[in-house]
Amino acid sequence: MQASSRARLFKEYKEVQREKVADPDIQLVCDDTNIFKWTALIKGPSETPYEGGVFQLAFAVPEHYPLQPPQVRFLTKIFHPNVHFKTGEICLDILKNAWSPAWTLQSVCRAIIALMAHPEADSPLNCDSGNLLRSGDVRGFNSMARMYTRLAAMPKKG
Amino acid sequence: MDDEYLSYEEEEENEEVDYDYDDHYSEDVGQVITKEEAPTSQVITKEALVAAQKQVLVRVMELLSVKENQARTLLIYYQWDVDKLFCLFADQGKDRLFSCAGLTAFDPCLVSSTRMMVMNCCDICMEDDLPSDVMTRMECGHSFCNGCWKEHFIVRINEGESKRIKCMAHKCNAICDEDVVRRLVSPELAKKFERFLIESYVEDNRMVKWCPSTPHCGNAIRKIKDDDGEVECLCGLQFCFSCLSESHSPCSCLMWKLWTKKCADESETVNWITVNTKLCPKCTKPISKSEGCNLMTCKCGQHFCWLCGEATGVSHTWTTIDGHSCGRYKDDKVRQMERAKRDLDRYTHYHYRYKAHTDSLKLEDKLRKNVLEKAVLNSERKSEEVFTNYIWVTDGVNRLFRSRRILSYSYVFAYYMFGEELFKDEMSDKEREIKKNLFEDQQQQLECNVERLSKVLEEPFDEYEFMKAVDMRRQLNNLSALVDNICKQMYECIENELLGPIQFGNHNIAPYRSKGIEQATEFCADICKSSS
Repeated sequence: MQASSRARLFKEYKEVQREKVADPDIQLVCDDTNIFKWTALIKGPSETPYEGGVFQLAFAVPEHYPLQPPQVRFLTKIFHPNVHFKTGEICLDILKNAWSPAWTLQSVCRAIIALMAHPEADSPLNCDSGNLLRSGDVRGFNSMARMYTRLAAMPKKG
Repeated sequence: MDDEYLSYEEEEENEEVDYDYDDHYSEDVGQVITKEEAPTSQVITKEALVAAQKQVLVRVMELLSVKENQARTLLIYYQWDVDKLFCLFADQGKDRLFSCAGLTAFDPCLVSSTRMMVMNCCDICMEDDLPSDVMTRMECGHSFCNGCWKEHFIVRINEGESKRIKCMAHKCNAICDEDVVRRLVSPELAKKFERFLIESYVEDNRMVKWCPSTPHCGNAIRKIKDDDGEVECLCGLQFCFSCLSESHSPCSCLMWKLWTKKCADESETVNWITVNTKLCPKCTKPISKSEGCNLMTCKCGQHFCWLCGEATGVSHTWTTIDGHSCGRYKDDKVRQMERAKRDLDRYTHYHYRYKAHTDSLKLEDKLRKNVLEKAVLNSERKSEEVFTNYIWVTDGVNRLFRSRRILSYSYVFAYYMFGEELFKDEMSDKEREIKKNLFEDQQQQLECNVERLSKVLEEPFDEYEFMKAVDMRRQLNNLSALVDNICKQMYECIENELLGPIQFGNHNIAPYRSKGIEQATEFCADICKSSS
């Protein structure tokens, strides 16, 4: 069982090396000692309060991968309706029941970037953030999200 | 009443007698299928499950001209409701019906142009240049290598998703062909997969349920008619088909659920404690007062006032304690206690009656065995018809059984019907009183005649002379018919007078059956073979 997931991850690893230049927004890195642990650095999408930030994701790949989805969470603090503020857990359908083995770690990153740009305020993990959006306070939401991006996802000045 | 008495006689004559002494209720054997009532339920044994499922499959396969695996996928999705399936088919057409269930009509031109076909590469393991014989294409058109399919099936089956294994492609809703699944996984897993598919017929089907016996007898019961009936499985267990608990008519499922919960938890004990005890203000142990004045002294040495529960000095009496005003007003606590006390009284009354009859039922089980034994022994010794054909005795015992049971559950019914828990706002106090009297009248009649029946059955009929035995038979038959009639009236009263006018509509009551709870007939695989 592990052999097939290992083989597939190895393939993905090679693919990532090749695509590095193609997608500058995503930087996927495999743990040196464990191919089932990955981290990724993704750039906050432009025209969102996350713009300019760099967010770190942690991947834990299950042994039945790719038949079961990888577990992904934000290591960088982020103010977003679908990300748990404390644990960084992400609520995204393709990571749960809509997972398909045809997805890759790279495409998961892309999906997460898309989620950052289009939050689902109706199924919030972070209720404060969801409530701001649902009540129509886009400015309030943007400034909160912006503040946390500055605090946590940008290099400190000086 | 006369004609009922007659019909009783007729049944006796037609009856073929075949009694055994063990616990099995052999009453009314052969009466289940009578002219006027077709059986409404069937027992499907473990062995017949495949055939029963096949019967439905074949119907769908013929009518929609589809393959077996497609028929199964459709039926699993539409919960084995063939009528609903055909309705949807007529309303929405085949394409819609199929796509909802995850079936796609194979369209070769759509597929041939895709990259996968030409390249023979599998998107899951990302291998390129695979020989085409290790690739499998599903009906949806998506093609992956056998290794990946196999892993996918193994994971899904082990996660208990056998019934709906979807294609691996993103957003593809198609259900995988069960033949491919069987072909690719190991024989053991294929067996497990098969079992899930077969059990779906019971588990996803509103009209079929597992018999709730423990240990499980392996049978499933299929309802042919959709009523709120109670059934008896081949294993002898009688149960309510709607809620799968023991049969409880004339209680509704909800009443029964509330009642068993009430009897099981200790809420009433707690209630008693609140009504009859006070907590000592110092050591907080509950104290009950058995005699004496209201100055209490706890074991721990603390003195307190029984009426308000507050700590006092030892010299406390009503007149001398300064500022002790607890006698001057009634606060909420007191009224609450009064209500709790009244509720408890009410519950105790109904529970006592219910319990008494349930206990009698257990005792009468012994009586029944005893009577049956006597009857058989007797029939070997004496030659007169009244002794050889002892069906009249067994019929009487069975009638006693059935009506005793109804009687005991009728107290549970009354507890909820005239209580505040369920129907507080459904009728005025006056209405409630009238209805209560009406019902209690019938209950009393039933009670008294059930007791009479019980008494007659205790007579030593095996020692009787011919004439005396004939007399006892006449008495028994009359009483039995009378009790039957009272039961019938009671159910009519419940239906028309009590529950009928109430809009709160989820109290379905299993209908009264004079001959007792229906024994489900065994589903016979041969019948379905010949019909299909």
